[in-house]
Amino acid sequence: MSEVSRTPQLMTTPEEAAYELRAAEGAIWTGSRLLVGIFTFVFASLAFAYFYLRSSNNSGLWRPHGVTAPTTIGASVFAIVLASAALNLYGTWRMRKGASVDWEVSAWTAVGGLLLALGLQIWEVTRLPFYPGSSGYASTFIGWAVLNSTLLLGCAYWLETLLARAIRLRRAVAEDGGPSRSSAPPARLFRANLEGCTTFLGFGALVNLIFFLVFYVVV
Amino acid sequence: MAISMHESVDLGRPGETPPPGAAKRRSPWLGQHMGTALIAAAGGFALGHWAGNAIAGNYENVAGSGQNNVATVLALSFGVLGWLIGSGALNYPLAKLVGKEPAPEIEEVGWGRYFRFTLDHKVVGMQYIIAVLLFLFTGGLLAMAIRTELLSPTTHYFGPGTYIAVVSEHGTVMMMMATSVITGPIAGWLIPLMIGSRRMAFPRVEAFSFWMFTAGYLVILTALPFGGFPTGWTGYAPLQTQAAGGMDSYLVGFAVVGIGMITAGFNIIATIINYRAPGMTWSRLPIFIWSLLAVASLLALATPTLVTGGLFGILDRTAQTAFFVNEHGGSSFLWENLFWFFGHPEVYIMALPGFGIVGEILPVFTGKPLFGYRVGAAGMLGVALLSFFVWQHHLFQSGINPDMRPLFMLTTELISIPTGFIYLTGMGTLWKAKIRFEVPMLFALALYFNFLIGGITGVFLSDVPVNVTVHGSFFVLAHFHYTIMGGLIFAFFGGLYYWLPKMTGKTLNKTLSLVHFWMMFIFFNLTFFPLFIVGLLGQPRRVFEYAQRLQGLNDFSSISAYLLGASFLVFTANFAWSLWIDPKPAPANPWGSRGLEWQTPTPVPFNNFERIPVILADPYHYGEENPLPVADLGVPVGAGVGSGGSGGSGPSGISGTTLIEGGPGDV
Repeated sequence: MSEVSRTPQLMTTPEEAAYELRAAEGAIWTGSRLLVGIFTFVFASLAFAYFYLRSSNNSGLWRPHGVTAPTTIGASVFAIVLASAALNLYGTWRMRKGASVDWEVSAWTAVGGLLLALGLQIWEVTRLPFYPGSSGYASTFIGWAVLNSTLLLGCAYWLETLLARAIRLRRAVAEDGGPSRSSAPPARLFRANLEGCTTFLGFGALVNLIFFLVFYVVV
Repeated sequence: MAISMHESVDLGRPGETPPPGAAKRRSPWLGQHMGTALIAAAGGFALGHWAGNAIAGNYENVAGSGQNNVATVLALSFGVLGWLIGSGALNYPLAKLVGKEPAPEIEEVGWGRYFRFTLDHKVVGMQYIIAVLLFLFTGGLLAMAIRTELLSPTTHYFGPGTYIAVVSEHGTVMMMMATSVITGPIAGWLIPLMIGSRRMAFPRVEAFSFWMFTAGYLVILTALPFGGFPTGWTGYAPLQTQAAGGMDSYLVGFAVVGIGMITAGFNIIATIINYRAPGMTWSRLPIFIWSLLAVASLLALATPTLVTGGLFGILDRTAQTAFFVNEHGGSSFLWENLFWFFGHPEVYIMALPGFGIVGEILPVFTGKPLFGYRVGAAGMLGVALLSFFVWQHHLFQSGINPDMRPLFMLTTELISIPTGFIYLTGMGTLWKAKIRFEVPMLFALALYFNFLIGGITGVFLSDVPVNVTVHGSFFVLAHFHYTIMGGLIFAFFGGLYYWLPKMTGKTLNKTLSLVHFWMMFIFFNLTFFPLFIVGLLGQPRRVFEYAQRLQGLNDFSSISAYLLGASFLVFTANFAWSLWIDPKPAPANPWGSRGLEWQTPTPVPFNNFERIPVILADPYHYGEENPLPVADLGVPVGAGVGSGGSGGSGPSGISGTTLIEGGPGDV
């Protein structure tokens, strides 16, 4: 059995190319907002579990003895995520002004911050003063640790891939104003992707704020 | 209408021999494909199992219990990871880490493409068709086993544990299949063609959803060798926490399929919103696309709850959390709430695309415009929205606050209003129509007949007094088989018979198609209608013994079920005969449809449309003397025609781009 592979045979007009490019930009915008929607329901499920078990207080075991997860580590995770999101937001703003390098520095720092927060989140699980199945609070906290780790890893991945793409783009569109200014399709799609990533990272910071309050402050 | 013609960039012409260098021979067995995926999945499974034993083998609760859920879950998870790596699904996500651009899409011909990770939505659609049929027939064989056991109330072929394992596997496999039976194969194949696009928004995401779907199939099959699971498809706690290793397959399998469903919904929404051709305004969108938009919203927003609930179940069984363990501060009702918050929208995930399909079929075979198009579209969105507010009716019997029952009874009954809109759209189209009784039309009519029975019994079931009376009985089973199989599966086959000539370029044998339809319709009703009666007479679901006086009805149902199963053999024979043994080419538009997808050549070219079409009218102007053409297929976009999509004429100067070529957005 043999088969032939061939490149797409297509005559593309400039208008069609522009049309497709705008559709791709729109899809990235829609996709990033849909991701926020999808993860809203993921974390809403966790919040539902938290409040359901708290109000049920089955066997009086919602949170016996008032124990919480280590607040110092939890606060550090939250602070680092917030700082990373803010830093990336600032960098994105600078990029819009044409300062691509500023964004690259802030985004690399944000990636480092997210990975540090991820490490702290995992380490926190090894320092818990309770057994995972000892209470409703303990269970939901383990659920939070897993979901937040996934969120942080996903954000770090997305931002890192953008940075890697930016490095290649720097050379490819150097003549055309660089990634922040170029009208070349890869640069435009890169900027659309960065805008989506920044929105999602902001959502991640908001989620961390809400669950920091829920698990550590107003337990 | 002034349409500017711009110079085209010649990248070759369809049908011509590719220029030297553009074509290369490649053996289908080189590179990544389903075979390498299977090998990597097996390797991942073994590695995960070893790692799980190394991690948890000495835990007190594991040692000597004969059950190491950590090993099972890691084996299944690593197996899925291996499946994705082996198929090539993770090549691009890994390449992105070093900033690589996606490789330009290569059009492939030959059988090998159907076994590979591919970005052509038509190939993915065909892959999905075979996969859902595999799911359907696997679930069908399990159904035959169930009906065989129920031939006698006293003579048993299975033990009670095996029986409930078979019932649970049947239900789960069928539900997994049903969530994707239209959104995967038919929608994946048709959406770009129906909205005038050359591609899905995220072709890699579409392919990823298919490979996750098939991974879920393999995972759920492992439940049987792990001893099965006793919970039925709903996976209720606390039985879930106590069950053997097969439960891990259920939880991991549903999570894997769930992620596939989310990604499919995500892609469908992004495509419909952004890739509509110029002129494809919301009021010109085919009704099938409206149904898919509603369903994709449910897939993207309701399924995360299932995946998260599944994660909690996995944590309970591995990390020893207590989400669903009452004695440790958890609650078994938490699972039931999370599950049904997904599970009831799931019902509409299964129902709506079926109505979308028949909404496309009816105008073609009645020669009339679709009646109440806007009402039908609004009904679909209304059903999708309301479906988030009805889940508690599944817990009427579970000790919820009785004061909550009327509220959820009301919301459940409310949903019959937008459902009625959708139904009336069909009835209005049929009213005084000269019907052409072709095979797709027969399936569409059968859907209305079956769904009427399933829907009306559903209204009864939403009422608390009836619900508490027949809860857990065969009445409920008959009801949901009438809605899901009688609705969705009939619509699926109607859609297959309608669009397969376009998809494959072959004509299906009409005699065999008619035999399939009549067998399926008659024996479906003879199988499931008696089950309403045995349910009302008190036969419970999921129990392999029943009252002696009900044997006659059960035997009647079982024999009908065998013949219903045989109808699928007729379909399979027809499929094989018409496509491979005695293929007859299909005309480009055998039904005389005005749908945009039918305006393309057969077989549909790799890029769907040589020019991005400009949509001029909706596709339902049947019976008019001089209807507007649906689309202008031969002009470039831009220039004076109202744009319904996100695009339109933009700045010039971006030329020479093949439209499948990816960028950062090409996820």
